[in-house]
Amino acid sequence: MTCDEIRLQLLDYQAGRLLPEAQDAVRVHLDGCADCTRADTVEQELTRLLEQRLPQHPASLALKRRLAARWAEPPARRPWWSRWQGSLVPAAAAAVVVLVAAPLVYYDRAASRAAREQTAMVAEAVNDHLRLIASPRPLDVESGGLHQVKPWFAGRLDFAPVVSFEGDDEFPLKGGSLGYFRDRKAAVFVYARRLHQISLLVFRADGLPWPSHALARVNGVDASVAAERGFNVILWRRGELGYALVSDVDARELTTLAGRLTRER
Amino acid sequence: MSTLANQALAYADVLHNLARYLTGNETDAEDLVQETYARALRAEHQFTPGTNLKAWLFRILRNTFLSSYRRRRNDPTVGGLDTVAAEAEGAPPADWLLGDVELDRLRKVVAEEIEAALMTLSEESRTVILLDLEGLTEGEVADVLGCAVGTVKSRLARARATLRHKLKDYAR
Repeated sequence: MTCDEIRLQLLDYQAGRLLPEAQDAVRVHLDGCADCTRADTVEQELTRLLEQRLPQHPASLALKRRLAARWAEPPARRPWWSRWQGSLVPAAAAAVVVLVAAPLVYYDRAASRAAREQTAMVAEAVNDHLRLIASPRPLDVESGGLHQVKPWFAGRLDFAPVVSFEGDDEFPLKGGSLGYFRDRKAAVFVYARRLHQISLLVFRADGLPWPSHALARVNGVDASVAAERGFNVILWRRGELGYALVSDVDARELTTLAGRLTRER
Repeated sequence: MSTLANQALAYADVLHNLARYLTGNETDAEDLVQETYARALRAEHQFTPGTNLKAWLFRILRNTFLSSYRRRRNDPTVGGLDTVAAEAEGAPPADWLLGDVELDRLRKVVAEEIEAALMTLSEESRTVILLDLEGLTEGEVADVLGCAVGTVKSRLARARATLRHKLKDYAR
């Protein structure tokens, strides 16, 4: 590939969106081309500026209340007899069908809706993890222990992240960073397992479509364990806070860490 | 409240953020978000389950913005939405090879300067940069913008190059 072609691929390369062969081709080219390496650095710097410094303009509480009030309005209803007038026989037949089929349809729709909600939450967690890995400065604060990482979030979040696991030899705490989960800020605690990075996102749990099916019990906490694009994800909520644990370590090891994170102190 | 409405309300913050960067002011941004939800509620049956709800809402918001802008442009009695007609963007200069000093200055650009530079870009450039930041895939961005996936790649590259060039004016 030429330098121009490589530079068009840089954003996809940084986000890990290329096919493995193309990803390798760009990496090999960068290793031997100082100009493209500089271009790569400049793009990374711009991404960092946009992600970390571009002001965000969330909706005001007043707007959210107005939206909720508007959307909560029930649709206009016609009198019941006008809907059935002139069609009582077909209606009765339809009612029989509905009585038989409704439970099946309801069950099917509820199951697929729950699956969609879980998929969306898992995909968000993986994207946030990838964004952190691709960042040129993945840690805003290097770890000198939990007592250094947690205070760093003070004033940067509108909640206090409740995390008591300080890391150990198996899962050392590397540091912390400010991130986003969907529309809200998140505290990101970065742990390691051998050479693998593990991200723990902590955020306000309200208003999110938390998985409610196929939950596993971890230290008395209902957790959702899922996999997406080669990453394992464990989601749970405790009180007003939500937690998303993401990594490419295997599910058993990630569950072990989840057990340490959910252990009561 | 329907399930979709419940899920959609969780995106109020990110929708408002895009609306704010499209309209350039708080009042128009709030109106745009409210109109977006109203349209989404009416078109709820058109949403395909399993697809990205956030991308669907972004598409409605942008289309609402564009139709509103066209309507206002043809009405001499109202103002507002003036930032949509940001200066025309020609081909961005090839400034990949920033020197170390320039790169160091770029790193010191503050939040207000990034916002100001972004607001000088065209609506399309602002939108593609913000949607990319939101983590939408190129396919989803293409759906929002109504263009081909390949076009998204080139538009994003051009928009970022222009923004980079603008930021050089601030990074002094």
